[in-house]
Amino acid sequence: MQGSTSLTLQNSVSTDQALPVGTSRRKRPPVSEWLLFLLFIAPNFILFGVFSYWPMIQTAYLSGVRWDMISPTKRWVGLDNYRYLWNDDTFRQVLVNSFWFAIGAVGGSLVLGLAIALLLNQKLRFRDFARAAVFMPTLLSGAAIGIVWVYIFDPRYGILAGFLKVLSVNSPSWLGDPTWALPAVIIVYIWKNVGLATVIFLAGLQGIPRDLYEAATVDGAGRLSKFRNVTLPMLSPIMFFVVVTSILSSFQAFDIINVMTRGGPVDATNILVYYIYQQGFVAFNAGRAGAASMVLFVIMLAITLIQLRFSERKVHYG
Amino acid sequence: MTTINRRTMLKGTAATAAGLTVASKASKTFAAPAVIQSGPTKIVYWGSFADSLGVAEKQLCDNFNAAQTDVELEYQYQGTYEETAQKLTAAVAARQTPDVSLVSDVWWFKFYLNNVLAPLNDLIAANNIDTTDYVDSLFNEGVRNGESYWIPMARSTPLFYFNKELYTEVGLPDGPETWDDLVAVTDQLVTKDGDTITRSAFAHPNSASYVAWLFQPVVWQNLGAYSDADFNIQINQEGAVKAGNFYRDSVVNGWATTPDDPESDFVNGYTASLMASTGSLAGILAESPFEVGTAFLPQAEAFGCCTGGAGLAILADKSAEQQAAAFQFVSWATAPEQTAWWSENTGYMPVRKSAVDGMTDFFAENPNFKTAVDQLPQTQAQDAARVFIPNGDQIIGKGLERITVNQEEVQPVFDDVAQTLEEEAEPVLEALAALG
Repeated sequence: MQGSTSLTLQNSVSTDQALPVGTSRRKRPPVSEWLLFLLFIAPNFILFGVFSYWPMIQTAYLSGVRWDMISPTKRWVGLDNYRYLWNDDTFRQVLVNSFWFAIGAVGGSLVLGLAIALLLNQKLRFRDFARAAVFMPTLLSGAAIGIVWVYIFDPRYGILAGFLKVLSVNSPSWLGDPTWALPAVIIVYIWKNVGLATVIFLAGLQGIPRDLYEAATVDGAGRLSKFRNVTLPMLSPIMFFVVVTSILSSFQAFDIINVMTRGGPVDATNILVYYIYQQGFVAFNAGRAGAASMVLFVIMLAITLIQLRFSERKVHYG
Repeated sequence: MTTINRRTMLKGTAATAAGLTVASKASKTFAAPAVIQSGPTKIVYWGSFADSLGVAEKQLCDNFNAAQTDVELEYQYQGTYEETAQKLTAAVAARQTPDVSLVSDVWWFKFYLNNVLAPLNDLIAANNIDTTDYVDSLFNEGVRNGESYWIPMARSTPLFYFNKELYTEVGLPDGPETWDDLVAVTDQLVTKDGDTITRSAFAHPNSASYVAWLFQPVVWQNLGAYSDADFNIQINQEGAVKAGNFYRDSVVNGWATTPDDPESDFVNGYTASLMASTGSLAGILAESPFEVGTAFLPQAEAFGCCTGGAGLAILADKSAEQQAAAFQFVSWATAPEQTAWWSENTGYMPVRKSAVDGMTDFFAENPNFKTAVDQLPQTQAQDAARVFIPNGDQIIGKGLERITVNQEEVQPVFDDVAQTLEEEAEPVLEALAALG
């Protein structure tokens, strides 16, 4: 069956091409062509429209109303929700938290990812296994990872407290202490996401032409000098890509935080997306959640625009 | 033979897909009446209990299905009280509501204000339910303007749990009668390793574990209130601030801690006592390797204890037939026999007066359960600020975290909280005015 179908298909294609150019080619495409065109773009267009653009327009609208997500009326309040955010101490702390979270998460993934990639780019025993092991957390669900790490961090029964005890250090109350909670969440985030950075760096490392290293060797460069003068410059476009994508995804971290700390203690781990969730689905302030979403959107847009500008300049690099 | 090329095939596929969609819609429409006409009425119930409580809740639903054939109930676990409220809100918007749902003390009001909950008086009358057999205070919390909107089911009160061995050693085998009694023995209860507290005398929960619920009675004990019934916020006034300072001092003076999970700290011997829901009773008793004592809440200036927990509500957008079926479950689950069963298996209060009579043997064997039931007549409904202002619980809870975890000064924190509560009360007052 299948064989015959594909045969017929191939035949028909060649028949089509063999047909003498008829009337349709010279005129404007007939309606059926347009329908076909619509049919082709429809799946993407409808999906994006329904799940991306329409919600975005709705969010922009919601940011101007006061609505508890259940009553039939939405009252238009103009910029009140933005004014609320401007004056809200919590929101200010959330922005600061998001900033530190991004710095910690991106910096950590970058440095660790590069270090691991350099390590795994050498000829080692069990290299493939190690590569798989490093990448694996990326594939796991953030919620499951969060639950496991809650146990690891437990100051009394946790495995981490056990290790610290060996070093005769008292474990801090990682998730209960406002000073430690954000670092703890960042650690988990890095652990989950460093694999992705590693893989991208590995690909980048393997794309650096060997002859550059050979030339450097001939010039008498040492290992460190080769790393500084060959590896890093050649990797810089990749590094830039990793930084930008990491920043974007770190701003959207939700699962780990929801499972591990629920933004607490006292908002110490409350970052932008979690704040939006709290305003929207815990406090049922659709308007404030919408306004905070618009703030997030503007931040993301700014980062993306910077990336576009920068990568345009760097496009011929290397 | 017709030749098929890619274009005609794509067109054909699209047409088939469209046809299938239409066909599947049509078949649903035709199939529906057959289901309604024969067999039991199917209803969906949304519940909120996890762990051992969830097992009991599921069992209750199974028992209901086994006990009768008119109604087939499907049990769907939705997460915590908060998550259930979130999903119910989304469900109302999507018109995909369950027939009957568990609603907690702090969330039912929001749904009431938006006409989501069905009034129950007619159903109660039609089924000849004797509402005077329900514990009055619990039943009346679900009544607005003479109309009942939810029936008490998993109702609890805070209870004082203590490690009997430790408290016997310090000369309080029945627990402290006043907070001063407790403070007097904290030096003996607390153990330290250097500066680290290895065992505290008392543990406070965080806002996610409803610290604002457990703090409510302490406020009353100090003759304060979160608010009056008309939403006049009083949390930044004398009594509540005094209670707040007591909480702050408990941490500053090093005898109370703020662990992530106070109940697991308690059963593992890391804290000597705590306040927790009676709903935790069965679990705590099962997990503790030592003898657990329970007592009335300690007093300060006066005794004070509040009610809490959840009840069953029926959704207003359902057909009369669905609502009648749902009510069958509501009345069955809160009937004296089931009330006694549920109470014995969880620690929640028996919501029917007559249920207590049948539990005498159980109380004799489990005196700790008796403490909670004895305390019940002295409890009262919570202040409007926590239960009627949307998210009031979390707003107060976060303020308390600032006091206990961050050890901030009480007055400015409670001033902040009061301001937030006042702002959030505005739409409620408007909605109430609109309801008349």
